[in-house]
Amino acid sequence: MFEQMKIAAADNLKLPKDVVLGEVLVSFVGRSCVIVENYRGILIYDDRTVKLQAKHCKLQFCGKRLHIDYYNHDEMKISGWIQSMEFGE
Amino acid sequence: MKDALKHYWEGYLCIRLKGFSPERFLNLCMAKQIVIWDLKYQDGGYQFLISVKDYRRVRPLVRKAQVRLRILGRYGLPFFLYRNRKRKLFAAGILSFFLVLFLMSQFIWDISIEGNYHFTDDVLLRFLDQQDIRYGRKKAGIDCDSLEESIRSQYPDIIWVSARISGTRLMIKVKENEVMGVIPDKDDAPRDLVAQKPGRITHMVIRRGKALVAPGDEVEAGEVLVRGAVPIYNDAEELIREQFVRADGDIYAVTGESYQESVPFLSVKRADTGRKRRGLRLRLGGLSFLWMMPSWGENPWEITAGTSQVTVLGDFYLPIWVDRIQAKEYQTYEYFLTNDQLEQEKQRIHQKKIENLTEKGVQILENSVKIVKEGSGWQIRGEFLIEEPIGIGRELVPEDTAGVPEDTAEQPENIAGQPGM
Repeated sequence: MFEQMKIAAADNLKLPKDVVLGEVLVSFVGRSCVIVENYRGILIYDDRTVKLQAKHCKLQFCGKRLHIDYYNHDEMKISGWIQSMEFGE
Repeated sequence: MKDALKHYWEGYLCIRLKGFSPERFLNLCMAKQIVIWDLKYQDGGYQFLISVKDYRRVRPLVRKAQVRLRILGRYGLPFFLYRNRKRKLFAAGILSFFLVLFLMSQFIWDISIEGNYHFTDDVLLRFLDQQDIRYGRKKAGIDCDSLEESIRSQYPDIIWVSARISGTRLMIKVKENEVMGVIPDKDDAPRDLVAQKPGRITHMVIRRGKALVAPGDEVEAGEVLVRGAVPIYNDAEELIREQFVRADGDIYAVTGESYQESVPFLSVKRADTGRKRRGLRLRLGGLSFLWMMPSWGENPWEITAGTSQVTVLGDFYLPIWVDRIQAKEYQTYEYFLTNDQLEQEKQRIHQKKIENLTEKGVQILENSVKIVKEGSGWQIRGEFLIEEPIGIGRELVPEDTAGVPEDTAEQPENIAGQPGM
């Protein structure tokens, strides 16, 4: 109920949802680099898959030679050859 | 860049991570704000970089996540210093490098002057030298304000000066007065206009004086064309006196011009053999070090060099000059000119003469050139018929100027004193 009110408020007031709702923000730079913000943690990591936990969903990046340049509480930068991205529950 | 320098300064480790739950270890590190970078999956394990400070904090997390860490490498300044702790001379070298750099930065090693056209760099550098400002002078003793003042007072035609020190470089910018400072005095001394060279008058415009020739007249060199003494007659047409003026006018005449140039039968040509040498010379104060292969063979070498001063970070000039030397071997040989080459040489010389005459502003009416064989070579003889101004001023001789000057001619007492009245 409270969550729905927050969504409605963000919609009506045109506030950024990543700030108000804590939604995950994914920025691609071509196929070689992706920056993920507002994630919660790392679920799986190897050179072909990076699976992350966000607030409301899970994200899975598949590719080759995946490499985490840096990660901290706010954001993570993944580089390599990215083939796909998938959302999961 | 800033992070990389910080990591190098603090020291960092390359770690191999293996164990039961590596992802949990990574999440725990994130939660504890332990910075990990360059994380990659390799051979069933993980490899990452971590600062020394953070590595000391991961021990409880290792136990909690049931993983094992292995140090693969140690990098950064603390480890570099530790590894080289016994190399005292190496450390002394690094320290002395910075010490020398610091000491060198206390002196002027380059003086640049901009904006000067009339006053050359040499003139201004000589003046600076007199002011005890030269290469190698200590920066601390230079007062830029008083230097600007002294340049302005020494050279009144320099209307603006800016002097500043940047690094080890003294930069002087000047602005010269482009407007003529002094109006030249007008010369009013009486004179005649005489012919500079023989010729036939074509047309003339007389502004002052009495013309003694007319268009169509043949004149000789030195002949008076316009007289500076103007006769004054009374009503009875008797000469009462001569008024001396500065004769002025444009007198054009057709004159002849000729030249003669020798071209030897044998011409010398230079050809490169293709052999080259390169070298480097380092000049440090009075010392000079040359790295260059010695010359071989009997042929002469043409040597050229480009000089540059060693700089660090733009304006930080050092008293070190590097000459990049290039040497080319060549040989000379003599050959007889062919008819075509002789013709080309003739045209080249003649064309050059025409250009010289055109630059002087004369009009060329006719021109001819021929080649004559003479003695040990060829003679190229050219002739021009040109139209040019031939009037040139000649001061009136003292007996002529004994008359009344123009300015005082109207004063009765001066007129009375003149001879021949």
